[in-house]
Amino acid sequence: MAKLSLKARQKPSLAKRLRSRTGKNMKKILLGFAMIASLFMATGSSFVQAAAADLEINTPAITAIKNSMQARHPQILPHYNSGAVGLTKDGLIAVRDATAVPLKDRGGINSLVSAENADRNKLYKEIATANGHPEWEGEVRQTFAGRWVDKAQSGWWYQGASGWVKK
Amino acid sequence: MPPSARNALFALLAIIAVPAYAISSIHISVGEVDAPAGQLKNARFQVDLKGAEPTLKLSAELKPGNEKTFTAFNLNCGTFLNTRIGELDCLNGVFAAKQINVPLTAHFKSYPGDFSVNIDFMQASFSDATGIHAGEKLTGKVILAARKQADVWHWSGVFNWTDGELYWQPFYFGKAGNSFAIGGTFKAPMLQIREANLLVNEVGSMSASAHINTQTKKVEDVKVVAKEVDFAGLYSLVLKPMVEKSAFGNLKVSGKADWQFEMKNLQPTSFELNLKNAHVEDLKGKFELNDINAHIPWDYDVPQTVELSYSQGHVLNMPLGNTRLQAELNRYSVTAPSLVLPVLDGALKFEDVSAAYLNQQWFWHLKMQLQPISMNQFSQTLGWPEMQGKVDGQVPLITYANKQLSMDGAMQFNMFNGSVRMYDLRIDDPLGTVPRLYANLEMRDIDLGDLTRTFNFGAIEGKLEGDVKDLRLESWKPVHMDAIIQTADGKHRKKVSQRAVENITALGGEGTAAALQRTFLRFFKEFNYEKIGLSCQLRQDVCKMGGVESTPTGYVIVKGKGVPTVTVNGYTEYVSLTDLLARIKRITDSNSKMIVK
Repeated sequence: MAKLSLKARQKPSLAKRLRSRTGKNMKKILLGFAMIASLFMATGSSFVQAAAADLEINTPAITAIKNSMQARHPQILPHYNSGAVGLTKDGLIAVRDATAVPLKDRGGINSLVSAENADRNKLYKEIATANGHPEWEGEVRQTFAGRWVDKAQSGWWYQGASGWVKK
Repeated sequence: MPPSARNALFALLAIIAVPAYAISSIHISVGEVDAPAGQLKNARFQVDLKGAEPTLKLSAELKPGNEKTFTAFNLNCGTFLNTRIGELDCLNGVFAAKQINVPLTAHFKSYPGDFSVNIDFMQASFSDATGIHAGEKLTGKVILAARKQADVWHWSGVFNWTDGELYWQPFYFGKAGNSFAIGGTFKAPMLQIREANLLVNEVGSMSASAHINTQTKKVEDVKVVAKEVDFAGLYSLVLKPMVEKSAFGNLKVSGKADWQFEMKNLQPTSFELNLKNAHVEDLKGKFELNDINAHIPWDYDVPQTVELSYSQGHVLNMPLGNTRLQAELNRYSVTAPSLVLPVLDGALKFEDVSAAYLNQQWFWHLKMQLQPISMNQFSQTLGWPEMQGKVDGQVPLITYANKQLSMDGAMQFNMFNGSVRMYDLRIDDPLGTVPRLYANLEMRDIDLGDLTRTFNFGAIEGKLEGDVKDLRLESWKPVHMDAIIQTADGKHRKKVSQRAVENITALGGEGTAAALQRTFLRFFKEFNYEKIGLSCQLRQDVCKMGGVESTPTGYVIVKGKGVPTVTVNGYTEYVSLTDLLARIKRITDSNSKMIVK
């Protein structure tokens, strides 16, 4: 009897693949989180748990949300630049100054912002769920809120502790 | 100043005369005026007579009755003329306030029982604080006039502009050349708008009438009629802002439309939209309909019959034939016992259709029957490998509520001489960014000969059956299932070609496909088999693989029978689904020439 063996190029185990997917960036993030987490360790804060959250985790849902946000980005970009739209401290965006929106776009600005916020809310929820800890949604949101501000271009507006700030 | 004004304080009336017999300027300051229409404070009125022409400078703070804060404004007139008693001219003037700048020339006339104002504005810009009412670079004219006859005021107004743009939430008037003319009567407390005509550039004209009770501030009766307007203009101006978030918010349309609606006490009471030879195309390519003729009446109290027809079109690339539809519109619900949409050489028949719009959400249910469609045309249309035979099927009751679509009973499609059944179907948020589908699938008696020829996998003769339990798709990608597909037992012909064996082997990984060629088995074109099967327990992207039998080191995918016998064993227990699908695609794609029999 001829026996054909299936020498499939074995994929590494799921855990291995997740580790390699996250890569060096993940190590940096984990290290950063670990340092901060150690400061809070004594308090038993839930943030300690979030230290292990993989923010780069990918699922079909997360990919779909990111694609949707990327497709929308060129439409919002001029409004970030003009200051019409700013980044809020809870990881969303808001119409900061509607009068800075050209009249022809003014009718669509609210639906644009609400569609973006719906995606952002889903993104935080999906990342927390994909990490197996839906209760981490709040921490994921806060971390992203900081990231959006860090990534914001100079001249964009974001919500600081005491109101809108121009970067 | 109205008779009811109180607390009026004339703080200073200074008349400075140099030389003693000539007046060079007039200053009037008013501390505060309180009237039912609003409040005025810090008013300063200065007429300068020193130059060749008198000039006016007026500044004050105004708070209309319905506002909470005072707004400062200035009116400067480069030339301020008072040629007749009761008439004033402001030439080269500018009216300015926060977010308002209106260069203007105005003529005011005020006699007892006769009042008019005629303003030409140039490159004017204005906006309210929230920006929901705004105009930019507007050039045009406003004429307002009122005359009292007996105890009724007859009034009229014209507002038109030849340049600039206007946004009045939710409407945007981008093309200049619009004109708004309005006229009526006023006898306290009723304001009658007898006729309001709005001529919108590139749309057409609309007319409206209304009754407004100024005491209760109730709009008691409104009627708007628009005949033979351009559908593209009507869509972008009126309909698009209303359906912005729906599937109809991103359309390219053309054709003519008649449109009218009536409101009583701010509640819509009737509506009618008629479309003539219209064309509607979704800009994302999801659907397109040609030669649409529609009669869409709606009445709050009386159920109406909607009629819609189109000559052809497509939905998700699926061609639609000449169609006539009829449904009943009853307040906020639409029902139809049967709707037939010709599709290719068959039809999609919807039965027991019912939809309702409540609390800004759609709820609907329907049954569906797919009348036989040639797989040949169907597969070509979708760009799939060419298939033979016909597909038909039945979909039991589908319900959509709270952004969730669910199906009672099983959906069955007949294809490849067998059947595919789907049951326990539920889709959460089907139109959202992350739709989630839950279902179970069952395949029975699928003719493997037809199937493998279609997908050019290498011939396998036999019957295929399969079960996919707890299937879960996330954004239409599988993330969970317990699936098994295998050949059916029975006394039918069971043959597998050499190429099919190679392809099955290749599914497990490249490198092993040539193994067959290195043995004497390469001289045989086909082999008998007892069973072929694969199973996958999918969790996220990782599939735990299995076959028709387990072995100490793996599982059997092809269990041969007779002599010569071919057996394909699998050793890889965990496989990435992405990789597995990529391999299947490579196998079917590499055989670029389709074999169709």
